[in-house]
Amino acid sequence: MTVLPASAGAQALPGAETVYASAPPRLLQIRTLLADAGRQTSTGSGFLVSADGLAITNYHVVSDAALEPKTYRLEYTGADGTQGAVTLLAVDLPNDLALVRVDKQNAPFFTFDKAALDGSLPKGERLYSLGNPLDLGFTIIEGTYNGLVEHSYNDHIHFTGALNPGMSGGPAVNAQGQVVGINVATRRGGQLISFLVPARFAAALLATDRVARSTAGDLRKDVIAQLASWRGALYKSLSDEGFRDRVFGSYQAPETRAGWFECWASTNAGASPKPRASINSTSCKAEAGVYVASDLNTGTVEVNHSYAKSIDLNQFQFATVLTQLAQPRLSLGGSFRKWYTPQHCHEDFVGLAPAADHPPLRVMWCAQGYREFDGLYDVVLVAVTQDHADEALVSRLNLQAIAYDDALRLGKSFLERLQVAR
Amino acid sequence: MIWIEILSKHRDVAGRFRVDAAEIHIGRGYDNHVILDDPFVAARHVRIFRDGEGRLVAEDLGSANGLYLDRSKTRKPQLVLDGSKPIRIGQTLLRVRDAAHAVEPERLVGSERSILPVVAAVALGAVLLALNGLLVWFAQTSEPHLSDYLVPMLTLIGVVLAWVGVWALLARLFSGRSHFLRHLLIAEAGLVAFWFYSEFAQIASFALTWTTVFTYGYVVAWIVLATACFLHLREVGRTHLVAKGIVVAVLLVVAIAVQSLQRSEAFANSGRPNVSHVLMPPALRLVPLREQQAFFDDLGRMKAKLDADRAELKPASAER
Repeated sequence: MTVLPASAGAQALPGAETVYASAPPRLLQIRTLLADAGRQTSTGSGFLVSADGLAITNYHVVSDAALEPKTYRLEYTGADGTQGAVTLLAVDLPNDLALVRVDKQNAPFFTFDKAALDGSLPKGERLYSLGNPLDLGFTIIEGTYNGLVEHSYNDHIHFTGALNPGMSGGPAVNAQGQVVGINVATRRGGQLISFLVPARFAAALLATDRVARSTAGDLRKDVIAQLASWRGALYKSLSDEGFRDRVFGSYQAPETRAGWFECWASTNAGASPKPRASINSTSCKAEAGVYVASDLNTGTVEVNHSYAKSIDLNQFQFATVLTQLAQPRLSLGGSFRKWYTPQHCHEDFVGLAPAADHPPLRVMWCAQGYREFDGLYDVVLVAVTQDHADEALVSRLNLQAIAYDDALRLGKSFLERLQVAR
Repeated sequence: MIWIEILSKHRDVAGRFRVDAAEIHIGRGYDNHVILDDPFVAARHVRIFRDGEGRLVAEDLGSANGLYLDRSKTRKPQLVLDGSKPIRIGQTLLRVRDAAHAVEPERLVGSERSILPVVAAVALGAVLLALNGLLVWFAQTSEPHLSDYLVPMLTLIGVVLAWVGVWALLARLFSGRSHFLRHLLIAEAGLVAFWFYSEFAQIASFALTWTTVFTYGYVVAWIVLATACFLHLREVGRTHLVAKGIVVAVLLVVAIAVQSLQRSEAFANSGRPNVSHVLMPPALRLVPLREQQAFFDDLGRMKAKLDADRAELKPASAER
């Protein structure tokens, strides 16, 4: 408390006015239009980062134009009233960023905050988020920098402020008007919990493009390639981080060491009417989803263990409980007809050596492919221990957007770690 | 003394006339011994007399539509009658018998009612209700309620009785006897067959890992239903069995084809195969454990199927 001088609060109030005063010529609304009708289908925000008209926005603001360039085109409206066409240059799918060019020359532009690029920004720093929420007009919103979000594979800044749809792609700046992050998302159900993409990813996107400026090829292919390589790296990191063993009743099962998983436990012990089989579950889910297109979100990784023990059920009744727990459901992040190939399943009894350590398992494996992403699949693996008639561990591994060989490898090491507790 | 019997389509006696004349005339006109109200019968259609050997003979009196023996398609000017096969004039079936015609011996009252079908019906019914109760019991994973057992049981009884009632009514209408017990046996046997199959499929899909047995359960259901319907139809009337068989078989094929089509379209729309993954007590496992490497080799082979699907589906979506 003593660090902040009393005058800091007083400075903050004129700060918002000062920050906004210089913004209009550099702040943009980016609109996606139907190429034929010329009407907007969605809007977002963006900001200039060079004098020759380069601007940063979110990938999800321009994804329609990136994936369907024949159907959609982009336009901008500046906060100073200027209007014009937008050309898409490059995208960064994992970080939800896009680099575009607007036909504006010698315009003022935003620079990046050095401290934000280094990651040395102090928690509690006042930030100002700019953008055009819900197409209502340009606004400035005060909020607080709260460091990086924990349990997230991709770095996100936790920004305490009210972001709204339409502000996506706009800059969040410090009191000096330097960019700290890019507005990207909010958490539904939270209060003022919003997220920013750290400025360093935008700086990196700008830098790569300066290297290969004129090679803007097929963005659709680029999106697919980025998705595949990013998922490859993510699953490699999951394998590299490794698993630790956790005991569930008379079994031990693997739990990931990766810090980007968030784990929750649940039990039916307090349920009413009194449960006839006790079920204790642990579910670890990675914040590793990705926006691929306006109708496709994918990328969930989930490890789930449920230990069930019969209280007064007979073996058949207990098997019914297990059947309900063990259905290997593959979820769809978009429409099946557009994005996915049909699901195939295989199941069998599997015995791992040495038999003394590994309970016999009933293993179910279901997989589906992505129609347009060669080499990416969604896989769900469910293993149910088969050594007792009145207790069992139901373990589930849910891997979205994964290379098939990675899935086989992860599945294998997952099964090998399902053991009888000693 | 001669008896002329008019038979219904189902060969029941619809009218019986006693004639004492030496020569009997039959036709639509009022100068006959037996008058038929069939517009396809001539005013004087046929006469019946005894020939030199004392046999009864029917003779066409020059009608337009002629005289036939039973279902025969060949027109006869004269027919010798044996008292068992009817003659056909116009659209009317007639049977001619003289007083000396031998009848079947008297049956003893109660001899028809064998105890066996009753026992079988009760036993099958008990098996059905027991199976039903057992399945409800096995699926019972929370607080047991009496209604969980009673409602499906009473529903089952109600549906079976209604089904059997309809068939018994049809049989009563067309053949004069309802044969309730026989219809009940057919319905119960059909249900037992289907339940045994579905339980077998469940157990096989777990114990033998025959997961596809389950997928075609609907085919078995239709076959059982069609077989039961054929047997019911046979009880309604033992005539035209080939025609009935063909009708039931055609309906069966249509039903299976339509449902297969519907399933394949649903699969094309959702990509979800209609498979349930059933778990049972581990002691029921009948196949040996598969080694880890072999299992993962199986899984590896699935990739080729997924990629083939992708190759097949991709061109359509790439042409945007």
